[in-house]
Amino acid sequence: MKVFFATDIHGSETCWRKFLNSGPHYDADVVILGGDMTGKALVPIVDDGGGKWHGTLQEQRRDLNGEDEVVAFEQDVMRRGYYPFRTTPDELSELEHDEQRLDDLFHQHMLGTVERWMQMADERLSPKGIKAFVCPGNDDQFEVDEILANARGVTLAEGRVVDVEGYQMASTGWSNPTPWHTYREETEDVLYERISSAAAGLTNPPERTILNLHCPPYGSGLDEAPGVNEDLSPKHGGHAPEPVGSKAVRRAIEEFRPVLSLHGHIHEARGHTRIGNTLVINPGSSYEQGQLLGALIELDGKKVKNFVLTSG
Amino acid sequence: MAAADVPAERTLFVRKATGLVKGWSVLDAFIYAAFAINLMALGFGYAFTTIAFIPDGSLVWAVILSALFIIFETLVYASLIAVMPRAGGDYVWQSRVLHGGIGFVFAATGWWFILWHWVPIYANILVVEVIQPFMVIIGNTGNGVFESDWWVYTPTHGAGIFTASLITAGIATVVVALGMRTYARFQKWCFYGGMIGLGIILVIFLIHSKADFIAAYNRSAQNMWGTGPHAYEGLIAASDKAGTSSYVGAGSFPVKETFLLIPFIVFYNLWPNWGATLYGEVKGASDYRKNVYAMAGALVFTTIVVLITFAAMYHVMGSDTYGIMSSAYWGYFTAPLAIFPYPGTIAAMFYTNEAVQLIIILLLSLWFFGWAGSVFLSSTRMIFATAFDRVLPEWAAKVSPRGVPYAALALMLIPAIPISYFYAYNTTFYKATLDATLVIAATFLLTTLSAMLLPWRKPEIYNASPIAKYRPLGIPLITLSGVIFAAFLLFCLYKWFADDIYGVNNSTSLRYMAVLYIAAIVIYVASRVIRSREGIDLDKINAEIPVE
Repeated sequence: MKVFFATDIHGSETCWRKFLNSGPHYDADVVILGGDMTGKALVPIVDDGGGKWHGTLQEQRRDLNGEDEVVAFEQDVMRRGYYPFRTTPDELSELEHDEQRLDDLFHQHMLGTVERWMQMADERLSPKGIKAFVCPGNDDQFEVDEILANARGVTLAEGRVVDVEGYQMASTGWSNPTPWHTYREETEDVLYERISSAAAGLTNPPERTILNLHCPPYGSGLDEAPGVNEDLSPKHGGHAPEPVGSKAVRRAIEEFRPVLSLHGHIHEARGHTRIGNTLVINPGSSYEQGQLLGALIELDGKKVKNFVLTSG
Repeated sequence: MAAADVPAERTLFVRKATGLVKGWSVLDAFIYAAFAINLMALGFGYAFTTIAFIPDGSLVWAVILSALFIIFETLVYASLIAVMPRAGGDYVWQSRVLHGGIGFVFAATGWWFILWHWVPIYANILVVEVIQPFMVIIGNTGNGVFESDWWVYTPTHGAGIFTASLITAGIATVVVALGMRTYARFQKWCFYGGMIGLGIILVIFLIHSKADFIAAYNRSAQNMWGTGPHAYEGLIAASDKAGTSSYVGAGSFPVKETFLLIPFIVFYNLWPNWGATLYGEVKGASDYRKNVYAMAGALVFTTIVVLITFAAMYHVMGSDTYGIMSSAYWGYFTAPLAIFPYPGTIAAMFYTNEAVQLIIILLLSLWFFGWAGSVFLSSTRMIFATAFDRVLPEWAAKVSPRGVPYAALALMLIPAIPISYFYAYNTTFYKATLDATLVIAATFLLTTLSAMLLPWRKPEIYNASPIAKYRPLGIPLITLSGVIFAAFLLFCLYKWFADDIYGVNNSTSLRYMAVLYIAAIVIYVASRVIRSREGIDLDKINAEIPVE
C-alpha cells in the first residue's frame, strides 16, 4: 500500500488542490491530511469607491482597479492560506472594536472554505476511488469536525481507529500546550489519555498499525522550533531551535510500536527518524509558498518498504 | 488631527494559531553573518596580507569595491530565503529550480566535501592568531614541541598544523553537539568580547605614533623573539633590497591593480550568506528586508570596521610597513623577524606586561572561537536536506535523543581528520587543497543561476512570494541581482583559473577538485539506481503537483 501524507496546509487553496491531486501524481492508494487545515488570518479588501479597491498582502499594499483585479487579489490571498473579505472603510473600523463580529466573520469564511473544500474532495476523489483521511489539528476550531464528518469524499479520523486498506490508524490533532493557547491543546497527562482512548480500538499487530498524531514526539528532531521569548519573538534571530514536541506522543509511540507514525505541527522540523522500529515522519509545511510538502510511504504488510519526503 | 495621529488601517486580522511570532531580531542574524565574514579571522587572518602579492593594488578600495558587489549576493540569498525558506539552502534551491542532480553535486562538493579541507585552513588561522602569539607572550618561543614555531606548517614539518586541525575539528564538533541555542548564545558573547578587543587595539593604535611603533617593534623582536636590537631597520633594509618596499595607501586608487586584488579579498567577505541554510520561515516583505538588513548590514558594518582598522594601523605603522611585514611573512625576502602581521600581535608589542598582552590576544581570539563552529554547522543542514530527499541514506539524518545530528557530524568530522593529516604531511596533497575557495564559489554561482531563473522556472512560487513586486527596470530584482553577482563571481573564477598569482590554478589541485565532483556524481547516480530499484523516483519528489 502506498500512502501519501501531508499536513498543516493552513487554509492554502493551492495546497488543498495539490493534496486532492496527490494520489494520482504519486500513484498513492491512500492520501492522509494531518491537522491544521484552516487559515490563520482574514485579509480585508477595502472599497475605495468608483470600482477601486485596495488590500495588503505580505505587507505590500495593492491598489485594485475593477472586478478582475479584485478577484485576482482574492486568489492570491487564498493561495497564501488567508481568507479575503470585501469591506468598506466604515465596516473595517467597526470590526477593529467588535471582537464578536470579527469572530463571526472568521467562522463564516473558515467554515465556508472547509465546506467548499469537502465538496471539491467529493467531486475529485470519489470517482478515482482514492481513499482520503483528514484529521483536524490544534489550530482548527471544533466546528470543523462536523463538516468533515459529513463529507463524502473524505473520512474524519479524529479520536478513533479507522481502517486504511487493511491497516489500522489511530489519530488525534490535539497537542501539548503551546505559547499561543490554541483550540486543541492540553497537558501531557491528559493528552496521553486522549491518545490511549483514540487507540483503544487497535487490534492489529504493530506492523499493521499507524499512528497519526498531529504533534511530533518530544526530542525526536522532528519537533525543533525556534525558541520564543515571552513576547513571542524568536530567540537568537530564529537560529536557535529547541524541542517542543509531546512527551505523551513519544510514550504512545514507544508503547504501541506502530510501523509508521505521522506528524506535523512544527513546520520547520521536516524530517524522519526512528523510535524503536517505528518510522516517524514530519514532512513539514511550506503552505505560504504554495508548496505541498509531504511524505510518500510504501508499506508491505510487515514493514515500511520505502519512503521519501516530497515537495510538490 | 495631525497626519501622524491617524491610526493605521488594519490590513490583517489574525486569530490565535501556532507559530504566529513577532519579528525576529535582526541583531541576532546580523551577528551570525558578521562572524561569517570574519574581519579578524579571515580578513586580518589571511586576506589582507595578500597585499604582498599585488603591492600596487589598494587594500582599502578592494575592500570597498568587493563589498559593493557582494551586496548583490545578499540580495540574491535574501530573495531565495523569502521564496523558499527551507533548511538546506543551496541544495534546496538548486535542486528545486535546476535539477536534483545539479543540486546534490554542487551542494555536496561546496558544502560538504570541501569543508573537510577547510579544517586545516581554519587551523592555520588558529595558529597565527591565537596559538603563536600566546606561546610567544608566555616565553615559549622556539622550534621545540608545542613551542611557538612548532605549530607553523612547513613542507617538512606538519605536526603543528595537524594538531591545530584536531583542535579546530574538536571545537567545531563540540559546538555543533551543544546545539544551536548554546552556539548562538556563545557566538553573541564572542562577538561582544571580540568587539571590545578590537576597540582596545584601535585605541592602542590611535594613541601611539610611528616612532612608538618602531620602538615597540624593536623591543618586542629582541625580548620576545630573540632578534638583534634593530629588527625594524633590518626588516626595511631587507625589503628595500628585495624591491618590495612600496605599497598603495588609502589615498590612491589604481583601478586595474585594485580589481586584481579582489579575488584575494573575497576570501574574507564572500560569506555573508553562510547562515542561509539556517534561516527559518519568512512571513512577509518585512522579513525579506530583515534578511537583507542582517546580511548586507553585516557586510557594510564589517567593511566600515575594517576601514577604521586600516586607518588606525596606517596611522601607527604606515601602509608600507603593513605591506612589508606581509611580504616578509610570505617569504618575499628574509628579514630579522618575519611574523604574521596580525593586529593583535602588533598591538601587544606596545606593552611589556604579559597580562596586558594576553588580554589583548585572548579578547581577539574570540573572533576565532565564535566562528570555528561554522566549519561544520551549515554543512550538517545540507546533509540533512539530501537525506530527506533520500539521495543520502536515511541514517545520515539521524539525531541523538538530545537532538545532536551525530551522523551528519560524523560525515564532517571523520573525513576531516585524515584530510588534515595528508594536508600536514604530504606536500602534494597540500597543493591539491588550494582550490578550496573556488569550489564554494562555484556552488554559489549555481545558486545564483537558480535565483536568476527562478521567476520563470517556478512562477507559481515566485509570484506568491513577497519579493515578486520588486521589479526595477521591469526586471525581477532577484534576476537583476543574480546577473550582477554572477558576473562578479565569474570574474573571480576566471582570475583564479587564469592567473598564477592567486596560487590556485595548480593542476594538481584542479585534478583533485575534479575528483571531488566525480565522487559527488557517482554518489548521486548510485543513489538514483538504488532508489529506483526500491521503487522511488528521485525526479518525482520535487516535481510540482498539478493545482487544478
